Amino acid sequence: MAGLELLSDQGYRIDGRRAGELRKIQARMGVFAQADGSAYIEQGNTKALAVVYGPHEIRGSRSRALPDRALVNCQYSSATFSTGERKRRPHGDRKSCEMGLQLRQTFEAAILTQLHPRSQIDIYVQVLQADGGTYAACVNAATLAVMDAGIPMRDFVCACSAGFVDGTALADLSHVEEAAGGPQLALALLPASGQIALLEMDSRLHEDHLEQVLEAAAQAARDVHTLLDRVVRQHVQEATVLLGD
Amino acid sequence: MLQKREKVLLLRTFQGRTLRIVREHYLRPSVPCNSPLCPQPAACLNDGKLLSAEVTHYVIPDWKVVQDYLEVLEFPELKGIIFMQTACQAVQHQRGRRQYNKLRNLLKDARHDCVLFANEFQQHCYLPREKGEAMEKWQTRSIYNSAVWYYHHCGDRMPIVMVTEDEEAILQYGSETEGVFVISFKNYLDNFWPDLKAAHELCDSILQSRRERENESQETHGKEYPEHLPLEVLEAGIKSGRYIQGILNVNKHRAQIEAFVRLQGASSKDSGLLSDILIHGTKARNRSIHGDVVVVELLPKNEWKGRTAALCENDSEDKAAGESPSEPMPTGRVVGILQKNWRDYVVTFPSKEEVQSQGKNAQKILVTPWDYRIPKIRISTQQAEALQDFRVVVRIDSWETTSVYPNGHFVRVLGRIGDLEGEIATILVENSISVVPFSEAQMCEMPVNTPENPWKVSPKEERERKDLRNTHLVFSIDPKGCEDVDDTLSVRTLNNGNLELGVHIADVTHFVAPNSYIDIEARTRATTYYLADRRFDMLPSILSADLCSLLGGVDRYAVSVMWELDKTSYEIKKVWYGRTIIRSAYKLFYEAAQELLDGNFSIADDIPEFKALEEQSRQAKLDELVWAIGKLTDIARHIRAKRDRCGALELEGVEVRVQLDDKKNIHDLIPKQPLEVHETVAECMILANHWVAKKIWESFPHQALLRQHPPPHQEFFSELRECAKAKGFFIDTRSNKTLADSLDSANDPSDPMVNKLLRSMATQAMSNALYFSTGSCAEEEFHHYGLALDKYTHFTSPIRRYSDIVVHRLLMAAISKDKKMEMKESLFSNKDLEELCRHINNRNRAAQHSQKQSTELFQCMYFKDRDPETEERCMADGVIYSIRTNGVLVFIPRFGIKGAAYLKNKDGLVISCDPEGSSEWKPGSLQRSQNKITSTTAGGQSVTFHLFDHVTVKISVQALRCHSDTIRLEIISNKPYMTPNPELCHQSSLLLRSELVKEVTRSVEEAQLAQEVKGKVLQEEYQEFCQTKGRSLYTLLEEIRDLALLDVSDSYVM
Repeated sequence: MAGLELLSDQGYRIDGRRAGELRKIQARMGVFAQADGSAYIEQGNTKALAVVYGPHEIRGSRSRALPDRALVNCQYSSATFSTGERKRRPHGDRKSCEMGLQLRQTFEAAILTQLHPRSQIDIYVQVLQADGGTYAACVNAATLAVMDAGIPMRDFVCACSAGFVDGTALADLSHVEEAAGGPQLALALLPASGQIALLEMDSRLHEDHLEQVLEAAAQAARDVHTLLDRVVRQHVQEATVLLGD
Repeated sequence: MLQKREKVLLLRTFQGRTLRIVREHYLRPSVPCNSPLCPQPAACLNDGKLLSAEVTHYVIPDWKVVQDYLEVLEFPELKGIIFMQTACQAVQHQRGRRQYNKLRNLLKDARHDCVLFANEFQQHCYLPREKGEAMEKWQTRSIYNSAVWYYHHCGDRMPIVMVTEDEEAILQYGSETEGVFVISFKNYLDNFWPDLKAAHELCDSILQSRRERENESQETHGKEYPEHLPLEVLEAGIKSGRYIQGILNVNKHRAQIEAFVRLQGASSKDSGLLSDILIHGTKARNRSIHGDVVVVELLPKNEWKGRTAALCENDSEDKAAGESPSEPMPTGRVVGILQKNWRDYVVTFPSKEEVQSQGKNAQKILVTPWDYRIPKIRISTQQAEALQDFRVVVRIDSWETTSVYPNGHFVRVLGRIGDLEGEIATILVENSISVVPFSEAQMCEMPVNTPENPWKVSPKEERERKDLRNTHLVFSIDPKGCEDVDDTLSVRTLNNGNLELGVHIADVTHFVAPNSYIDIEARTRATTYYLADRRFDMLPSILSADLCSLLGGVDRYAVSVMWELDKTSYEIKKVWYGRTIIRSAYKLFYEAAQELLDGNFSIADDIPEFKALEEQSRQAKLDELVWAIGKLTDIARHIRAKRDRCGALELEGVEVRVQLDDKKNIHDLIPKQPLEVHETVAECMILANHWVAKKIWESFPHQALLRQHPPPHQEFFSELRECAKAKGFFIDTRSNKTLADSLDSANDPSDPMVNKLLRSMATQAMSNALYFSTGSCAEEEFHHYGLALDKYTHFTSPIRRYSDIVVHRLLMAAISKDKKMEMKESLFSNKDLEELCRHINNRNRAAQHSQKQSTELFQCMYFKDRDPETEERCMADGVIYSIRTNGVLVFIPRFGIKGAAYLKNKDGLVISCDPEGSSEWKPGSLQRSQNKITSTTAGGQSVTFHLFDHVTVKISVQALRCHSDTIRLEIISNKPYMTPNPELCHQSSLLLRSELVKEVTRSVEEAQLAQEVKGKVLQEEYQEFCQTKGRSLYTLLEEIRDLALLDVSDSYVM
């Protein structure tokens, strides 16, 4: 098999999507009662669970407390069964540390941390199945979970990945497309303001094409926002119905 | 709107475990159907190419049909083809990138009425694969399902034909849906396109080749080639006799199919195989390239194949394939390569049109090597278009088992196609000849000789060397205008009445120290290369044309061999070898020497040395010189007669020299009448070589460089005998003596060409003379067949041959050994010398090939752009000298061209001649017998060609883009060609060669006005010094004798 054809002449990707189309997104908020906030998201076959505790007092060493804002603590882990080959991933390996850091940066930019000085917000994300775009799925899940916890945020944080094949930008890469080794860009966007919370790029891409890929990722992130917004509204509606009774 | 499905794939990882992979699969309500009958074109998003509206039906090929019969589907006559995505993916996965790209281009091509329907993304067409369902079954089912959907989608208005190779599917689906027909591909062509003959033929041939391929692929499991065996296994196999080691030789004329392995080393003795091993097909060749040392396994006897004897494209050589065409010979397959002999290859990029057919992925390009024997090479480059018109050097990097062609990379550009300089550079690279100018470091080692700072004999050398300047009359005899004189002669009477004969050779080793830069360079070059219009010297001109050249009237160092001969019997009494200082008194040319010998002294006025002298001393000197030449000739006659009694071959008649010229390109040099002086000089040189050979062998029995000429195999003479029989002659080939005698008697007084051709066949049958190290073979094998000498070497031309330099050093070492002096230089050990001999032999062969190829190049350029219909010189008289199943081989004496002329052309028409002699192509048949070939037309007319018949041929040039141009011959009449001026016929062979070179050079020059100056110098040099002809006649004669007893090594393979 001589290399996969990521984008056919007719404009179809391997899984039948067109260049700008997202994978199917399904999400639910409030999946766990014990936690302050929780959410579950499926983006195609990528499945992630996010749980939020807080804001609460600083646990552990108090010296970590920040005088003017809340401390955002993010932890990422992925299940041993999340990929095709079952593989034990010890806690605190390089990849999850890096992902934790990225999530923290993303959410420090979105959560209004100054409202909760000297306190701590914990965000735990677990990937149950990885099929490309894990970062995006984690961010989207965590956004919903933070909202479920009732922590004030500037805006939704919506993330999506994008790639570049044969002069065309592809939105929301699947695992096959990521593995092909082309350039890959991860974008976390605050859709209302259009501000970028995080932008990350793997492998090389010519400057001329960056604009195009960025636009594809931003458009995809806005599409994600529409979906997440719908999920939140539905959840709130359900909750009010329950409360109202 | 999109529906999500999941597909589960089980993939095998590299470690061999199975991996379960889940992939998403999205379905959509509408994909473009690209049909003009679509009810809702807006929903289908039809854009771009639509199917034609004027078809009677749509065809949907099954996956198997697309895979195997794509070439048939490419016919523009077939319209309304819908390729299903399922089928396209099957092509991509199972047939690879190339086939898939072909399909993609077909879909893009607006002229072809075909579209792709993405059925797997259409929610109604997609069928998930059921558990346990075979991939093939599922694909057929999907395609059928999609076809049905498509039929309904178009409102049941257009019948659809699904063509499949699956019999079950035809039964199962054939009558399931009205309007959707399922039939086999063959059936489809028969019913719908009965008139499309070409498609039918193609379909049949594909069917056939597929069957063959299936048989083969059962053995190889999908890989293009089997793996090579590991080295230990190969070595063990060779030792045990299971495998055979040899050098791969590809047949130039059938490079795709035939290759032969020449047995090498011990394996030939053990296996009892006499002939070469045939390697049939590229698969059996298993990625080995011409020249590689390979290991072969013999196939069982029932799989042995015969070689083909019919003439084919480019068959210009007359090779003595004596055996009948179908007789099977040992056939094998390559199991491993011991040594890859990859070199730089000259290639040509495909032209623009060809690139497009190779697909969109234009970074990998298949380039065609100049040498037919080398497979196409895959190059990755971005500049393919820019390099299209150039000859380019590439190197091969690797050849994987999965790849049909080797991978290579681009190295450099040589020059434009068809340009003289570019083509010459091509010839040089192809023969691995590197002729960069001498470097500064090398030139620094050279002595100085300028008018301000003239070179002088050093006092130290004067003491050590024997001084012959005042005691001996030394003179040289060379062709007119020769500037590198490396041999001189002397003869005098000693006090005791005996004679002293001396041969004095330029002392090159004095100037070229072992392992100096210049020595290493000379060793690499090994010889001076003579091309048709130029030469590349082995040593810098300061040595070759000045300090080492034994010019008249100047002091020079020499290495001398001097014999004391009995005054009457000329028996050799004593021999002396040593370094000397000489001053050549006369630099004679052959014609002058001959005149003097004949007693015609008026020629003395033409000799510059005599001009300055006054009458009296002049007469005395002249007498002295005439006596010396006369004595020399006398001695030479005696030595020659002695050698003749041992059976020395007399192959160098006038005719043979002309005959040989198209191999050696020397005929413009040789006068019509051979002068006795030529033989005199040659005989003295052979004597010197012989005695030096004896001397160095005695001193160094295990590390002397000698030259051998093995006796030829008798079976190679069979063709010669047959041909001679046709003319009523008997050739006795049992020994060199009988061969020489019977060749002399085989003379047809009415046609001198007969003897000429017979002699050429004799030389063809012989193996070529080779250098060797005495430590590497037994003493009986030292024998020189052609010269009938037990030991022979090359000693007399150190300026242009490295072997002579080695021999000089050996001789010097032998002398110091005799004097019990310390040896100054370390000599080559047997092993090193063997290696060096192989190198020199290789280089000599390269020199011969390059000379031959450059001659052919000039011939082609001479005839190029001439209209064969009108130009007089494109008509010539030819002699048939060999008969093949579909044509004859013809020799044209006027131009020295040999080539094939077909009696049956590609359309199957045969030649017919009317009574006036002019010929035309007509349908008919050919009948070949031993000595004649008869062409009978359908009308009953017949014409017969016998061996040695004279015919008129038309010469034209077949221009080839990727290879060198070739001369094409066509018989236009079965009568001899009448030249307007019949006597020109004979003279012209002399004139024409130089004329030809000149004319081509001139036309090239005219084209390149910019390089005018340089070109002019070249031309002038050529005329003034006759540089190309610059070798002394002696060396030429000698070469005819031994080196030129032609290169049979590659000849009978090809």
